[in-house]
Amino acid sequence: MRELIYLALFLPVAAGIVTLCVRKSWLVKAINLTASVCTSTLLFTLIVQVKEAGTFMYGWLYIDALSSILLLVVGILSLTATFFSVSYMDRELSEGRITFKALKRYYALLQMFIFTMIVVLVVENLGFMWVGVEATTLASTLLVAFYFNRSALEAAWKYVMVCNVGILFALLGTILLYYTQVAAGSPEVDALSWTALKAMSGKLDPMLVKLAFIFILIGYGTKAGMAPMHTWLPDAHSQAPSPVSGLLSGALLSCALYVLLRNLVVLEGAMGTGFIHAALLLFGLFSVAIAIPFILIQHDMKRLLAYSSVEHMGIVTIGVGIGTHLALYGAVLHILNHAVAKSALFYLSGIISQQYDSKHLKRIRGMFTALPMVGTLFMVTVLAIVGMPPLNIFLSKFIIISAAFANGQPILGFGLLLLLAGVFAGMMFYATRMVFGAVPSNFHPKALGVSALVACFLSVMWIIITGLYLPPGLEQLLDQAATIAMGRG
Amino acid sequence: MQVLALLLLLSAFLLMRANRLASAVHILLVQSAIVAAVCVMEGTASIHMLVAAILTIVIKVGIIPYALLRVVKLLRHEREVNPILGPNASSLVAAATIVLAYALIDRTLPAVLGWETLAVSLSLVLIGLLLITTRHQAIMQIVGLITMENGLYLIGLSTTHGLPLIIELGIFFDVLVAVSVLVILTYRLKKSFQSTDTSILKKLKG
Repeated sequence: MRELIYLALFLPVAAGIVTLCVRKSWLVKAINLTASVCTSTLLFTLIVQVKEAGTFMYGWLYIDALSSILLLVVGILSLTATFFSVSYMDRELSEGRITFKALKRYYALLQMFIFTMIVVLVVENLGFMWVGVEATTLASTLLVAFYFNRSALEAAWKYVMVCNVGILFALLGTILLYYTQVAAGSPEVDALSWTALKAMSGKLDPMLVKLAFIFILIGYGTKAGMAPMHTWLPDAHSQAPSPVSGLLSGALLSCALYVLLRNLVVLEGAMGTGFIHAALLLFGLFSVAIAIPFILIQHDMKRLLAYSSVEHMGIVTIGVGIGTHLALYGAVLHILNHAVAKSALFYLSGIISQQYDSKHLKRIRGMFTALPMVGTLFMVTVLAIVGMPPLNIFLSKFIIISAAFANGQPILGFGLLLLLAGVFAGMMFYATRMVFGAVPSNFHPKALGVSALVACFLSVMWIIITGLYLPPGLEQLLDQAATIAMGRG
Repeated sequence: MQVLALLLLLSAFLLMRANRLASAVHILLVQSAIVAAVCVMEGTASIHMLVAAILTIVIKVGIIPYALLRVVKLLRHEREVNPILGPNASSLVAAATIVLAYALIDRTLPAVLGWETLAVSLSLVLIGLLLITTRHQAIMQIVGLITMENGLYLIGLSTTHGLPLIIELGIFFDVLVAVSVLVILTYRLKKSFQSTDTSILKKLKG
């Protein structure tokens, strides 16, 4: 088990370094595809082992059901992102938008990015999780800035500054938490250890923990794209290469939420749930609400999807804020569902923008006629993201909203439904205009990359199948993850 | 100890007044050196503190200012032209910030041993934040970020004698990588926009 984790950490780093040294384009692709398939297989093996044998802990390494769900997200998304990158970057290369040197840099950074996300998910210590989350920002900044044009530089600068300041707040919160731990008489070997903190959370000073909570929420909330700290998100998501946008939105935001969840378990044990849940509900509702005007009036396809990510992070936060077992089950499931669906949408938007030579919503028309296959996949995924049954996101949204009603918060439930109706209107308006209508006269279809389509197909299959049927093993993991997030695992 | 705390406050004050990029980086260098000295003073002969002090000197007094000064050399005509707060207003705000930090620490954590250091560190964090929000020059914002980080480091030092060494190593590494990434971006900003004034970055909206 331990060896498998080390291998899963080692593979992306090795692949990244080797990529920088080779001179042939096909070799770069082969190395990255192989590495990605192996890494994901390793991650899936780890998940199966955790499911069979229970929580794994060895020194600094720790994997339980909650981290397994997130490892599943990273496993699926790093696989699809690499597959998609192969065709996407081939076209960028052949159309002269990037050079071969840039291509190598891209894959090396992509592997580093995947590595840092795995680090966040396999460590037990809250201090290490902080180091990991900061490293994800740094690895992804140069991916956001990848094209090094003016817009990309602007997006990257905002991204790195906002997220760095945010993450420094989280560090302050973590230091405060450590101070309360030391004050409660914990030995130094247990410093910031999650399991130790969880066990002794009743002994921590509630006043200081409250202060720590505020900083930790702001810090990791910034990274998770919660409003009003979400300002970096639409810029970074729209300027990054499409496969990276998919990873940022699906995997990175989820990793930040995961670290927040881990911290919350300790904080709730020390200061009770009242204040924390109220704050989470407030941030969550605000995130969903603030996304609506930007989704209703939008000019850029990828910004549309980015604001939808803000909305979905809001929904997960609301689920965590309701705080019952059912709500947390919904929240964790929603993280998984959103990750697969949103990354697929970003991949498809990558194909679409290459086909139409534009990200502008006005220029993209008539996909059913021009690109029937891409149009169909796009429509199905949009239907999933707005929560149409029987697709997967309907299930998790339904669970979260019904948890609100079951927990005696009908106003919250109705309010959320109303807000979601607004999002639905905006997303469907633009999606139908993109898919139907007349094809622009200057449109010339180009050949579609096979590996890009494979990535999109896999994601859409997942969306359809898990909407209808959750494998019992996955359901059991989700159930355990919800219990852990409640602090009872 | 008190002398070092006062020197730190002075450095923060001067940073708020600086409008030449090179002087800001030099002040940052001195500030980091004082942080290293505090490390040595606080942890008398503990290996942890010694390692932390050495790393602070190598990374924050050596590599980071060196890298920043190299970029500054390329930015010959760049300086902070229209900061949101002018030098005098900045000094006033800095003074208010320091009073605020002292008052906050006095009220919330009066019992902590090194509360003087703690108040100074909190001032550093807040002044770093002010630098990031009120300055337009990329280099100034980077300096602000490292000032914040220095402040946070001292908060950890004065409350708990620092985080465990292995986590601190991780943080040092992150800071190092962060500065390299920021330097690359600054260099690219200069190349693409012929300027490193970040107030021109306002194309992406809506």
